[in-house]
Amino acid sequence: MEALAAALQASPLGVWARGSDLAYPVANLIHLLGLVMLIGGIGVLDLRLTGAFRRLPVEALWRYLLPIAAAGVCLLVPAGFVMFAADASSLAVSTVFRWKVALIVLALANAGAYHLLWRRRLASWDAAPPLGGRLMAAGSLTLWLVVAALGRWIAYA
Amino acid sequence: MTLHKSLAGAVALAVLIPAAALAHHGWSSYDAEKTLTVTGPLTDVAWRNPHGEAKVKYAGKTWAVILAPVARMEARGLTQAMISGGKPVTLVGYPRKDGLTEMRIERVTVDGKTVELR
Repeated sequence: MEALAAALQASPLGVWARGSDLAYPVANLIHLLGLVMLIGGIGVLDLRLTGAFRRLPVEALWRYLLPIAAAGVCLLVPAGFVMFAADASSLAVSTVFRWKVALIVLALANAGAYHLLWRRRLASWDAAPPLGGRLMAAGSLTLWLVVAALGRWIAYA
Repeated sequence: MTLHKSLAGAVALAVLIPAAALAHHGWSSYDAEKTLTVTGPLTDVAWRNPHGEAKVKYAGKTWAVILAPVARMEARGLTQAMISGGKPVTLVGYPRKDGLTEMRIERVTVDGKTVELR
């Protein structure tokens, strides 16, 4: 694991991510844009599925917000990988970074499980909102906010 | 859960997390009350992002020197060549509060030229 991180840091990608004057700041901007899209999309949907904003139709929100959140993830991952490559050796042993990765896996698993368990019940969500589904939606928002906070925290830990 | 309760919870989360993060802002790890001025050659100069790094001897110890992002240093006229090659460089910076031998640099003077890093 740590050998892999060292190899990535020494790779052309790692050298470029550190040495280029624009690579790192631009990756940082893209990562932030991805975060805004992820939290803006999934955060509003999670609030709705938790029980807020009941005048907004669940199905329509799901259809329009989920692609924005997914696009956010598609920006976050490669931009994050570039920044990781710049500093892979020290990040791989950083406790904060490890927690962040673990919680990302947990949040993605939560999202996948949500699809499997509740996707078909969305149409009748407000008539009989399942407690488990609402808790998972609240957990999703909490997890993503904690992931975002840990990401910011890496620089100060 | 009512609209108000769930909204209040979301707002509380959104407010609490950044507030805690701000308390740990990067500069707060360094003691700005203790200004260090060091003149000497820099070694292990890493001209890199997110910030440049180097080593310098100070008070009998080797200190880690934390510089600024590459684009900022170059925009202000500091180049890797200016601080490499064993030339005497004067650093003004602040030590870490936790006692680690690491200083964050406020300004660099080399070849009669002073560059502000902050």
